[in-house]
Amino acid sequence: MCRIGFRCIKMALRELSSLERFLGLKKPNKYSTQGGKKVPVLQNNNGPALIGLVTIASHLVHEAKRPELLGNSAEQRAIVQQWLEHRVTRLDNCSKEEVKVILKELNQYLEDKVYLAGNVFTLADILMYYGIHHIVVELAVQEKELYLNVTRWFDHIQHYPGIRNHLPPVVVLRNRVYPSSHH
Amino acid sequence: MKLYISEGNPHCIKALAALELTGVKCEIEVISHEEKVVPHITHPVSPVLLLPSGQHLFSPNSICQYLYDISGQPATDATNQWLEWEATNLQPAVLQSLHMVALQGKRVEAAAVMKEHLNWLEQSLSKRNTAFLTAEEMSVADVVLWAALYPLLSDAGVEAGELVRGWFQRVGVLSACQTAAQTVLRGKGAEALKTFLQKHTAAHTQRRDSPTN
Repeated sequence: MCRIGFRCIKMALRELSSLERFLGLKKPNKYSTQGGKKVPVLQNNNGPALIGLVTIASHLVHEAKRPELLGNSAEQRAIVQQWLEHRVTRLDNCSKEEVKVILKELNQYLEDKVYLAGNVFTLADILMYYGIHHIVVELAVQEKELYLNVTRWFDHIQHYPGIRNHLPPVVVLRNRVYPSSHH
Repeated sequence: MKLYISEGNPHCIKALAALELTGVKCEIEVISHEEKVVPHITHPVSPVLLLPSGQHLFSPNSICQYLYDISGQPATDATNQWLEWEATNLQPAVLQSLHMVALQGKRVEAAAVMKEHLNWLEQSLSKRNTAFLTAEEMSVADVVLWAALYPLLSDAGVEAGELVRGWFQRVGVLSACQTAAQTVLRGKGAEALKTFLQKHTAAHTQRRDSPTN
């Protein structure tokens, strides 16, 4: 359940329209929301409505004929899907204490990777960036250094052409302010 | 490729069933509830699929989708939608309900938790005329939803509508599904999940209650 209710609804719809702009889809789609959790719904003229952020985002990627954003191989597709699911099941529900676990795990995962699926930029980077923005914005300088790989990845994605759209940029220092050993 | 599973973990039913149904060749290793196989995850999880590239899949649904993908059945809007619904809506309710059945003996309350979701499934099935969720043939969506509901619908006394029951039987009659359920539950039903559920709840309460440190 979304703890921050209204903000979440607006965010989900805003990130879908940001994604549309990034994908270069000319005709903006019509969205509504459904149920207590306000899940996004895409009204479709030639078929049943599509429900769910990940489902709709994946559909838009196909519509824009950019299947590589969902991964180029079965392995990559599975990893992309896994992070998309992680976004809507863990990140969107997490308590303050869980945020730390999520950041710690993501930080370790990104230790040897440029993007979430390895060396290629995918939809997983886009939706994780949109979903984690409100958390990274609040991090103190020390915390940004503690989660250095997350911060590096985040900065990379926010500078990726056409991604940031509705979100304010987050300042990331390229040089450490605090010594790397933690006392 | 290697699939790590642990006994009495309900998430493993879907991975085992999908493996058998797709016929993908894969080594299976049974691990304990304490064993950690994914380097970046701080607590033990299963099932985990170790991919040929050396990467780990730690989401049960992504494991199932991957097995179907390499067997020539890629994801569609319809399968994506069912998998997303299962992960975001159904799964939290299932875990809450299993917890009530296996640890607290509250069968009536457990059934109440499931009601809304089972109604949604019944409604969705009534809108289409196919034997399975997305088509006349089974897809990854059927395996994932069937396995999620199995411990509750098979013997925990949770009631479902006529269409859900019909669909649940059509999937469950397959030997791949029966074997998967038997491997994980050992014929003991929701009782077999006690250890898993206790650990799962402990991990969650701990995370929620622990002071910031």
